Amino acid sequence: MSASVQSRAQSPASSYRHSLWLLTTRDLKVRYTTSFLGYFWSILDPLVMAAIYWIVFTQIFNRGTAVEQPYIIFLLTALLPWTWFNGAVSDATRAFTKEAKLIRSTKIPRTIWVARLVLSKGIEFLISIPVIIFFALISLGTNDPAQLHWQVALVPLAIVMQAALAFGVGLIVAPLVVFFRDLERAIKLGLRFLFYASPIVYGLEGLHSPLRELVALNPLSGIFSIYRSAFFPAELNWFDVAVSAVFTVVILAVGFIVFRRTVPTVLKEI
Amino acid sequence: MAETLVAPVIQVKDAGIRFKRNRRSRRSFKDLFAGRGRRARPDEFWALRDVSFDVQPGEAIGVVGRNGQGKSTLLKLVAEVVYPDEGSVGVHEGVAPLIEITGGFVDDLTVRDNVYLTAGLHGMKKAEIDARFDEIIEFSEIGDFLDTPYKHLSSGMKVRIAFAVISRLEEPIILVDEVLAVGDKAFREKCYRRIEELLAGGRTLFFVSHSEKDLRRFCTRGLYLDKGALVMDAPIAEVLDRYNAEYGVKK
Repeated sequence: MSASVQSRAQSPASSYRHSLWLLTTRDLKVRYTTSFLGYFWSILDPLVMAAIYWIVFTQIFNRGTAVEQPYIIFLLTALLPWTWFNGAVSDATRAFTKEAKLIRSTKIPRTIWVARLVLSKGIEFLISIPVIIFFALISLGTNDPAQLHWQVALVPLAIVMQAALAFGVGLIVAPLVVFFRDLERAIKLGLRFLFYASPIVYGLEGLHSPLRELVALNPLSGIFSIYRSAFFPAELNWFDVAVSAVFTVVILAVGFIVFRRTVPTVLKEI
Repeated sequence: MAETLVAPVIQVKDAGIRFKRNRRSRRSFKDLFAGRGRRARPDEFWALRDVSFDVQPGEAIGVVGRNGQGKSTLLKLVAEVVYPDEGSVGVHEGVAPLIEITGGFVDDLTVRDNVYLTAGLHGMKKAEIDARFDEIIEFSEIGDFLDTPYKHLSSGMKVRIAFAVISRLEEPIILVDEVLAVGDKAFREKCYRRIEELLAGGRTLFFVSHSEKDLRRFCTRGLYLDKGALVMDAPIAEVLDRYNAEYGVKK
């Protein structure tokens, strides 16, 4: 047995990554070992939602213009990213309370408790992408085949922006919920509103002024328009993307400030 | 940091921390952003205040005091899992905290996964854990339950595996809160021998206990906390004598 008394020198960045990765894989491992369907659950939720909206909007309201065909692809390209954002933010409301025991006994950088949620939900988002591919392949046999455009190369940009935005929102939400428990329910309600205020079941380009400008103020709009442009290039609007980028940076900065100011009190409260 | 002959590993200077008396009371946004001043609010109390001491490497320190006098809070400050509201706490080496040791264990994961998770969160790399894995399992005496979900272990087993993991961290500072009250006598003795081993290896120990026997066994220096203040910092025997004189049962 080694009796060496020396601290293992590790750079802060690499130990941050190490802890973040451990907690993220723990989350995924717990989710996939405790349920029989495992991976299937990550795609089942958006899939059922997509089926519902598809039936409501194409079969009942008989909606659908040339731009938005096939509608199921149109839906999924925004619904899957939304599932990521929604999951990360609603889990962030319990970031401190759920892991209170562990947080009280380790001193790893506290932003990890939020970052791990964004990362694990992000990984679930990535592994749900084959669902889109599946429907795109099916659509090849129909009258409205899905066509992939060069804009698919922009998807990594959308992923980075969305991760930063969700992280920023999480940094604000997570500590404040510890002080204001009511905020947890308020956030749930806010997310439901945000779902309809984001171009998910509809497209930005189909909206008329002044609704279009209002929706464009939603930082998710620009991000979703990038995802969508992979199949629907007309949806891409660089002005919206710029608005999203500005909001993302501001929210991230505010998030860091709020988090830094509140964390000492949070640690005493949990 | 000034280089003295032997630099202290722990430096606590004028540290104070306050808690709310009424945990349910809500705060306003104004409070959150008003900065950390010496504002005394009616619903708050100082759990510790104006506490200062230095710890040299290799010292074994026992913290003495009645319930609710700030012993565990002091340990948490040294573990850096809470921050002082005033003053400073400087810890210059890695810490193996035996505080809420089962806190990091996940009910649904197996014992094996949990060992890797907890040791990893305390900064061990996978290769290091691999090298110590058998040792940890042997120490905890639960080799038959490696692939059992943690939640199915008995409470004694849970503490055993947790102690085995944390006490194998190669950190220079060990913090021990009264975790060892659990577990059977034989295992407790084993834990104590492990702590002695670590002490012999040059570790710094910070020990909170109500057991006079244990304090005398491990510690050389005592800190006596009363009403949130450090009232005495002296060799453990003197500290215990004073504590007994003030609060102890007359023998």
